[in-house]
Amino acid sequence: MPSRKPDYYEILGVFRDAPQADIKRAYLDSAQRLHPDRNVAPGETELFLEIQLAYEVLSNPKRRNLYDATLPPEIEESGVIKHEVSFSRTNLVQLDEPQLVYALLEVGPRDQKEKLPSAPLNICLILDRSTSMQGDKLDFVKATAIHLLRNLRQEDVLSVVAFSDRAEVIVPAALNLGKKKHEESIQMMQASGATEIYKGLQAGIKEIRRTLDPSRVNHIILLTDGQTYGDEKACLKLAEDAAAQHIGITAMGIGHEWNDIFLDALAGKTGGSSAYISKPSDIERLLTDKFKALAKSFADEVLLEYKRQEHIRINYGFRLQPEGGFIEVESPIHLGPILQDTALHILFEFLVSPQALDGDVLTLLDGSLKTSIVARPRPVPPVRLKLTLDIKQNPSKEEAPSRILNALSHLNLYRMQERAQAAAEADQFDTAARYLQNLATHLLSQGEHSLSKTALFEAKHLETKHAWSLAGHKDIKYSTRALLLSGDQEKAE
Amino acid sequence: MIVCSICQHDNLTGAMFCAECGASFADNHSLIEQLVDPEKNQSVSNKPSDDPFQKFSSGEPWGSLHLVDTGQIFPLSQRNEFTMGRISKGQSIRPDIDFSPYQGYDAGVSRMHAVIKRDGDRIILMDLGSSNGTYWNGMRLSPNVEQIIHHRDIVALGKMKIQIMVKN
Repeated sequence: MPSRKPDYYEILGVFRDAPQADIKRAYLDSAQRLHPDRNVAPGETELFLEIQLAYEVLSNPKRRNLYDATLPPEIEESGVIKHEVSFSRTNLVQLDEPQLVYALLEVGPRDQKEKLPSAPLNICLILDRSTSMQGDKLDFVKATAIHLLRNLRQEDVLSVVAFSDRAEVIVPAALNLGKKKHEESIQMMQASGATEIYKGLQAGIKEIRRTLDPSRVNHIILLTDGQTYGDEKACLKLAEDAAAQHIGITAMGIGHEWNDIFLDALAGKTGGSSAYISKPSDIERLLTDKFKALAKSFADEVLLEYKRQEHIRINYGFRLQPEGGFIEVESPIHLGPILQDTALHILFEFLVSPQALDGDVLTLLDGSLKTSIVARPRPVPPVRLKLTLDIKQNPSKEEAPSRILNALSHLNLYRMQERAQAAAEADQFDTAARYLQNLATHLLSQGEHSLSKTALFEAKHLETKHAWSLAGHKDIKYSTRALLLSGDQEKAE
Repeated sequence: MIVCSICQHDNLTGAMFCAECGASFADNHSLIEQLVDPEKNQSVSNKPSDDPFQKFSSGEPWGSLHLVDTGQIFPLSQRNEFTMGRISKGQSIRPDIDFSPYQGYDAGVSRMHAVIKRDGDRIILMDLGSSNGTYWNGMRLSPNVEQIIHHRDIVALGKMKIQIMVKN
């Protein structure tokens, strides 16, 4: 980046019209990370001093005014990331009834050619060792953990926590640890006890915080095969705290006993996703892939903050890539990571009430994108995200861009599966079966024969037994989710 | 409001896919295009017909049969009635739709198994006294009794599962 006059706003990562409260918050955030007592990388103390100076100027209204007068006009675009939005329609129509509109948001590195070094990792594996893990599952988990530990790069940190109804640290978070000894401790893990995810999560977060560092990818991978009872709320709270400290969570469920809704919500709090491991022999492949993806992180997180617009609701949000996953739509939204080779794609469904349609232009969403980039200790200036559409008398004849159509058609299958689940959850088994039969038809027309068969089988199972088969629902959910990704890759070719 | 042309479900304006049956509103022609794709499909409409329903017929397919296991599609066009079964060597029984190339024998399809026909807006399925039975959405049909069926229903001839698609 060319050297130029320091922009204090950029240094703190705030907008030029940021209120004092935001400036203070941004300063405290950065100062905490870069304080000379804490920072590790060379040059960070200098950065800390810059931030100190920026804050001194901007926190004083008089000095801020003087400084503002010297600033060149604001450059609207961020130098580091770029974003693009496409809509399902070019305009909204004056109507007396609610209407839907979809937006596809893509966020990626501005300079895609730039080859970035792979990010150092700070990962904590939280492993379920409850009684049900006994046998194949635990054996594969152990083997994989040892494999990952052996292949760790010099700069990476891997800690391991095991839990049942209590938690213990198997491998502590530290650089340059004696691997041999820790391999043995992993080998010694025994299955016993119940599953209490809270205990494991708490110990894992404590461990990862020892080596917490904004220039690393800080990530928790939770592996479990069972349901946790009664501590879900506390777990979600922990995940929120983790997200506030830029710790991501991936939750992997082995077999079919675990609660996918809960693990989705847990990982979703941090912009992560849940993954389904149908058989123990897949554990190694999925975990290794996850490690590779984490090492390719460009931004470990993109955060969308927005103010609610009156008469407009975000009905639904879904991350299509890099990892398919449900996102909560309450601000701030943890959208998920950007990988060096994979931009972040988010699809939103907006519900617009008739009352909102007053004027020529409607603002669907007004907010900002905040990105924390792994290889950049200095905060990235936020990017304003304002989604607007014209309001017209008549619908436009123009077709929606193919990228959003593609995205929607893949998401369509996933959502049919979701509707079937919601119906089954409400004991409406015939409705659920009908949704699945419809899903089967669409899967068939897209050439997904075996998945189509699974859907038909489950439809029948629901009709006759009033329940999903053991693996059926998760098979369908995670396979339709995987279709989202394969669809996007085809598009990229 | 968008009313789905396939399942009549009311969808919000701006919806891209039907919330009930998942049909796309972006191109309503996908089903038809699929039916007339000559590359993939085997046409069964060449046979001259002495069909009494001929007057309702036109060149456009009014529906199609989708084999669930193999994905094979049989368009239904030009005639209003099709017999389904399998041709076996040395026999003169020739159903309109022949499942012998698709493991019809192994699936237990009889030579003259069932008939599907269109009568106005109604689609009717009738078992022709097959050995292994005709199932409609999992229910075995009595032989030679007409059963009204609908778009997207699943029909099984023995173990051969077929989904019925009907163009409205």
